[in-house]
Amino acid sequence: MSTKGTHIPEHLKVPFAGVTPAPRQETGQTLFPTGNWRTVRPVYRDKKPPCNHACPAGERIQGYLDLVKDKKYLEAYALIKEDMPFPTITGRVCYHPCETACNRGDYDDAIGIHCVERFLGDYGLSLPNDVVKLKAARPERVAVIGSGPAGMSAAYQLAREGYQVTIFEGQPKPGGLLRGGMPEFVLPEEILDKEIDRLKALGIKFECNKWLGKDITWDDLKSYDAAFLGVGLIKCRKLNVPGEDTPNGVRYGQDFLTDEAQGRPHSIGKRVAVIGGGNTAVDVVRLARRKGGELVMFICFESEVDAPALPEEKHLVHEEGGTVMDNTVVKEILSEGGKVTGIRIVKCKPGAKIPSEIEEIPGTEDTIAVDDVIVSIGQYADLSAIPEQFRTERGLIKADQYGRVDGNIFAAGDAVQGAGMVVQAVGAGHKAATNIHHALNGHVFPDPVEPDVIKIDRLNLNYFRHFPRVPQRQVPLAERMGSYVEVNLAYNEDEAVAEANRCFSCGTCNACDNCYIFCPDVSIMRTERRNGSYFVRTDYCKGCGVCIKECPTGCLEAVPELEFTDGVIRMETAFATEIGAHGRQREELFEVIGEVLD
Amino acid sequence: MFYHEITVWTRGIIMDKEARDVANSLAQAARLEGRYTQFISDYVDAPDRTNCLIRKYARISDEDIKFRFIYENAHPDIVVLIEETLIKAVNFTRNTPPGEGVVVINTHRSPEYIWRFLPDPSKVKKLVCVDATTLASQSWIYEESLYELSQDRMSTEGSAERKQIGIGVAAPLIGAVAAATGIVKLDSLEKVVGDFDAVKRGVEGIVVKENPALVAVPA
Repeated sequence: MSTKGTHIPEHLKVPFAGVTPAPRQETGQTLFPTGNWRTVRPVYRDKKPPCNHACPAGERIQGYLDLVKDKKYLEAYALIKEDMPFPTITGRVCYHPCETACNRGDYDDAIGIHCVERFLGDYGLSLPNDVVKLKAARPERVAVIGSGPAGMSAAYQLAREGYQVTIFEGQPKPGGLLRGGMPEFVLPEEILDKEIDRLKALGIKFECNKWLGKDITWDDLKSYDAAFLGVGLIKCRKLNVPGEDTPNGVRYGQDFLTDEAQGRPHSIGKRVAVIGGGNTAVDVVRLARRKGGELVMFICFESEVDAPALPEEKHLVHEEGGTVMDNTVVKEILSEGGKVTGIRIVKCKPGAKIPSEIEEIPGTEDTIAVDDVIVSIGQYADLSAIPEQFRTERGLIKADQYGRVDGNIFAAGDAVQGAGMVVQAVGAGHKAATNIHHALNGHVFPDPVEPDVIKIDRLNLNYFRHFPRVPQRQVPLAERMGSYVEVNLAYNEDEAVAEANRCFSCGTCNACDNCYIFCPDVSIMRTERRNGSYFVRTDYCKGCGVCIKECPTGCLEAVPELEFTDGVIRMETAFATEIGAHGRQREELFEVIGEVLD
Repeated sequence: MFYHEITVWTRGIIMDKEARDVANSLAQAARLEGRYTQFISDYVDAPDRTNCLIRKYARISDEDIKFRFIYENAHPDIVVLIEETLIKAVNFTRNTPPGEGVVVINTHRSPEYIWRFLPDPSKVKKLVCVDATTLASQSWIYEESLYELSQDRMSTEGSAERKQIGIGVAAPLIGAVAAATGIVKLDSLEKVVGDFDAVKRGVEGIVVKENPALVAVPA
């Protein structure tokens, strides 16, 4: 409102009714500081998206999906590489807890995060140079035992800090579980070798055929400034049934996979019994089918739905021609002349989840003729080289909450927490590496902070269209058998961008400008269109809450005004009854009243 | 001479009745005690705007009050804030005689925290905090929070109004004013207000901070 050009008589220039002086051109809206109407203030507070929270490696998933939306692949790849040394590998083998946690899963379908991760990983691996920048070299030497996911993750993070890192691996080729636990058709060897070459380019030395306890002793480790144990679970559990010591035809799942990957392939017969219900057993079934097994049995004592392998893995057993025999207990391995000839089985009641719950059904004993038995019921750690006082009763390494075992010797991964996923080992390795860095610099270990994870009910879902998940294509079944071609295919660029565009950006400002557009008081301002540059003009914001309601991602929240000591607006317009026109009017009134009362 | 000016600050529409009840009940109760009283609802602030600042006035005197046609309290010595954020919004102790103001606030926060927001601490004799929203009979609270209440964009003033006065959030505040200042007796309030139990809870629920600058230092 402007009074420019309007003649205002002198007697009207006084405050109107004691409330507000007439507005003038030069002062404009400053005369109406409506900020004192506000009981709550909109505040931009980025919360933790559920995917980031669920990722054990702590990948900033929402961050890189947001960059993929804008086709900023290089920045996105660099962001993944902060927390994950080999996105090509986790993009292929991870069981993606992030997708289980994804808020979009409660809306239509969860985002195909692992597919976008794989796309970015493949993109990054095709670049001539790595994006990783190293800090200045430091003289401290760190030994890493084991080149599995935990060991390589810790080595990668330490190398980025500038430490001199050497990885010791017992097998002839590095990679640990990534090589020995992942068949070629899940994770091609070429990819793994390239990722290991990338780590070598960072200055990490790999020394293979070096076993802890044989080639390196515990005391050798102490000669380093720090050491990290990522020894994993490498010994296979035994079934403990008669006939298990048959010299020819009894194998163990992890050894079977490892030998295949390390160049010591086994030849198997036509009829194979794979005993165990886990993900390793599934991989063994799939490998056995490719190696000529015609009747490959997936034998577990649990019901099929209760078996610990993931549903999509169990689906692959059926798809690739395995025979599922659930609720079945193997009682004996039959042999003749030192060669396996069959197994004796008995059926058990459904519902058992641990071996002690098995209830056999009498009269259901049977004998099946098989050529090979592959026992795949889990692994345990080989801790013979680790002193007695650093082992737990459960056969794991005893480490405190910071991963410290003894002095500057740290440990993480499956050998500390028990069997877990690859990303859990990567995350634990990263955490231990951070703590090694703190220990070498004399810092106090930081304690974890419980983050504010955003749930779907804090989002404004009106802004998101239903849009189906971009499916991940697979090699046709006919081409899979008899070859080791990778089964899951990668997203192309369009598919990756389309999938990233489905991301809600839960709890994080993605500069959608909604608050800026919707504010009825022009109180949301920004310098440029990016997260962090929006601010609220507290002099004018009425706290109407429109921006908070219209924020699609839920990063804006209402905070009670008295939490802040700033934003005080002292309206000085009241009580003007003794000055100006009102003051004169008051005097006149008193004269009149006085006459009447007297 | 017994003369008090009570100004009650509140927010338009959403808490209008609460402020009216506080000022009105105090004036009515004082009248039952034989005093001269006035209660005036203020319309200069355009009170039909949701959330805007609104005032209600009461005066209590033991003599005839000569300001009959001037409704604004020029020298309020008792200020009631129906809602806590009003403390940042206005200079409510302007023209209050120095060292005589009693400020009663509906807040769950401590007087020590609230003190920093006072516009002019030298005017204030004591700051009285009472968590009236919690002490009020919850059956009268029809919204979960003030913020949600302020989201009522329908501006249906009066639609949720009840016939009794001195109920809801107003009742504990009336008790807090009576307990902190002693301007009216509880017996006379009982005849006026609708929810006297809540008034008594307000009497017991006050947390008072005296102005440290005015507390006499023992020699």
